[in-house]
Amino acid sequence: MQRFGIWVIVGVLALVLGGGLQTGQAQTQDQCRTCHRELLEDTPSQKYVNDVHFQKGISCAGCHGGDPTQADMDAAMDPKKGYIGVPKGAQITQTCNACHANESRMAQWASSIDTIQFQRFETSVHGKADVATCVSCHDVHEIRSSRDPQSPTYPTREVFLCARCHADPAYMRKFNPALPTDQLEKYWTSRHGQRLQQGDTRVATCSDCHTAHTIYPPKDPRSSVYAVNVPIMCARCHSDPAYMKPYGIPTNQYDLYASTAHGRALLEKHDTGAPACNDCHGNHGAMPPGVQTLSHVCGLCHTLNAEYFSKSPHAAAFEKKGLPQCEACHGNHEVPTTSLDQLQPEAPVFMCRKCHSMDDKGTQVARMMYETIRRLVILEEEARRLLTAAEQKGMDVADAWFQLRDVHNAYLKARTVVHTSDPAEVQKVVEPAVQTAEQARTAGQRALAEFDFRRKGFAFATLWITLLVIALYLKIRQIEARSRDKRLKP
Amino acid sequence: MWRRIYRWLDERYQLQALVEFMSHKYVPMHRHTIWYYFGGVSLFLFLVQVTTGILLLMYYRVGEDASYESVRFIMSQVRFGWLIRSIHSWGANLMILTVFIHMFSVYFTRAYRKPRELTWVSGFLLLVLALFFGFTGYLLPWNQLAFFATRVGTEIVGSVPAIGHELVRILRGGEEVSGATLARFFGLHVALLPGIFTILLTLHLLFIQRQGIAEPESWAGRPESEKRRMPFFPNFLLRDLLLWLIVLNVLAFLAVFYPWELGPKADPFAPAPPGIKPEWYFLFMYQTLKILPAKVFFLEGEFVGVLFFTLGGLLWMTVPFWEGRLGKYRNEIAHLIGWIVLVYIATMTLWGFRS
Repeated sequence: MQRFGIWVIVGVLALVLGGGLQTGQAQTQDQCRTCHRELLEDTPSQKYVNDVHFQKGISCAGCHGGDPTQADMDAAMDPKKGYIGVPKGAQITQTCNACHANESRMAQWASSIDTIQFQRFETSVHGKADVATCVSCHDVHEIRSSRDPQSPTYPTREVFLCARCHADPAYMRKFNPALPTDQLEKYWTSRHGQRLQQGDTRVATCSDCHTAHTIYPPKDPRSSVYAVNVPIMCARCHSDPAYMKPYGIPTNQYDLYASTAHGRALLEKHDTGAPACNDCHGNHGAMPPGVQTLSHVCGLCHTLNAEYFSKSPHAAAFEKKGLPQCEACHGNHEVPTTSLDQLQPEAPVFMCRKCHSMDDKGTQVARMMYETIRRLVILEEEARRLLTAAEQKGMDVADAWFQLRDVHNAYLKARTVVHTSDPAEVQKVVEPAVQTAEQARTAGQRALAEFDFRRKGFAFATLWITLLVIALYLKIRQIEARSRDKRLKP
Repeated sequence: MWRRIYRWLDERYQLQALVEFMSHKYVPMHRHTIWYYFGGVSLFLFLVQVTTGILLLMYYRVGEDASYESVRFIMSQVRFGWLIRSIHSWGANLMILTVFIHMFSVYFTRAYRKPRELTWVSGFLLLVLALFFGFTGYLLPWNQLAFFATRVGTEIVGSVPAIGHELVRILRGGEEVSGATLARFFGLHVALLPGIFTILLTLHLLFIQRQGIAEPESWAGRPESEKRRMPFFPNFLLRDLLLWLIVLNVLAFLAVFYPWELGPKADPFAPAPPGIKPEWYFLFMYQTLKILPAKVFFLEGEFVGVLFFTLGGLLWMTVPFWEGRLGKYRNEIAHLIGWIVLVYIATMTLWGFRS
């Protein structure tokens, strides 16, 4: 310790007397570095040589303040010259923002980094004062470009960086006890994670989906992982043929999905109940569902369809042939809006054609189910037309509309029951609905007849009233004529 | 046969005396005779309201869970229920319109002057009661528009200093418009208001019978030979009847071609529909309250509005008693006041419609 003290004194004397260490370069004139790195040899100054800021010529004073040209410690670390010591809390972001939020200053270093990072970060879940600051992710004194494999934000290291907090249940409990902490564990099971472990840095890591500075809860519409935003977020890579070329997988999933019932509900109607990519593929453990598990995935929402199908003769047949249950008929990303015509043997969209010939039992079953449901559809359409016409004419047909709602529910149920492949089951659902639809149709017909009756009734009443008015008018004239005659008589 | 029936009745009830009495009543004939008919038309429409109201009462049930459903039932299931309800709704509007016309025609022909002061007062009170009929009846179908219009309407009373809040509570039967309000309004609409209305109407008609129909002031001093009159019975009554038939046909036309809509059921938790407005006959008051600033001096704007209409109404009702003191320009001043009131009501109503 005594030896170290002597060296410090010698060093300082050498600096003061010689001044020969100044070479004209910024770093060599930096007295902070002279003392901290060359004399004190402390860790921060040792690490700082690897820092992008050091490489751009920014001295310690750039963040800590003070006067780096002063060899005298008190003069160099004088608070009057802006010395702030170790920045803490909000001071950290203020220090970083002094340059990173200043466009002209960033231009001095020819930096392409955008200057609204903090503005965005501030609104994110991490932007709250006691959650994270710039240095929580970017490190201190050894800040490297995110393209540098040594950087904590480099893809192979980023997942560990996020997991430092997000895989620590005790730590996460302080901020969001409901948030799972197994994301990294799941991630390693995903195709993305598996490839990253193999050294593929082009796969998605945390910030590719969640963004780096604009992280919001998934239920926040501003979030990149908000249900409506998920498909386009995944499509950024998966719809880019050039980017996906090395993987040899299709890039048309988004286009197919966007045109389907699922895609339209989510993307056009913003119905967040409709599935996005992650609802079928998982999010952190993203993987295409396998043939055996596909019906479980679809069955999460289409519960009855999956249940009926599992009891149908198709279940065993599909298993035997190794066909994916739902996908075999409905496709995957291209799940089309289903229509009744898919059960009509003569229709181009007849879906049983893939396995059944025109004259086999399967086709006959499809035809029977089609005809049963079609009868209900025709009745419903007719009742709807009549009720709409009656309503447009000002008739009150609210009760019939309620009946028709039940009819439509039965129709939807019948479409589910077709997964049993049992025409008798379909008939059970359709028959009562047919009667209800007939009642609604009758109500519509009655309302229209009533409308005509009212018009005719009004015409009839008007005719009578007019006749009465004329009769009264003539009577009045007669009475008044008589009175005039009386007055005129001498 | 008619003669035989008449003779039979006359023998027992001395109808001839009544006919004699009526045939000695005359109605003045001049260029403003047309206005005399509006009193009769108002009476006819009142009778229509009473008749259709009684018919509606046969199926209407009061209550948050029953009112809307029963009106829907009347309109869709009861034979001619739609017609009765539509006529009742349209009739109410037409009656208020004809009462307004009748009142202004009396005012501008200066028929309110001595000795007909009380006829005027009773007539004005009948108009106020008709407005109350409209306000209470509007809520009874318990649909969305009625619910919010009543909420806005009753809120206005709350602006009266000190007792405003209590008044609203009494009117609504609680803090909010609810089933209690519905029950109250129903009671007022079918029992209390008809009772008072009938008494006032009887008085009003008695006054007219006793004093006869007002002659134009310009007739004063004219020789009898220059005054044209027609017998009340049968001439005027038949003409009145003719007009009643036409009004009945207009009502039928409106009921058939523009049936009164029911709309969705009232939902106290639903947001108020945009652009909610009261019935047209309240629009001039509503629009005035709308344009008043929140504070006028130290008073609440709405209260100033309420005060303005209360005092204005009182002045209007008592016009026969103070108008005589206006001096030699009393005719011109009264005429001007009439026009100002009429133009104000018309302008505010139009403004209310368009805003």
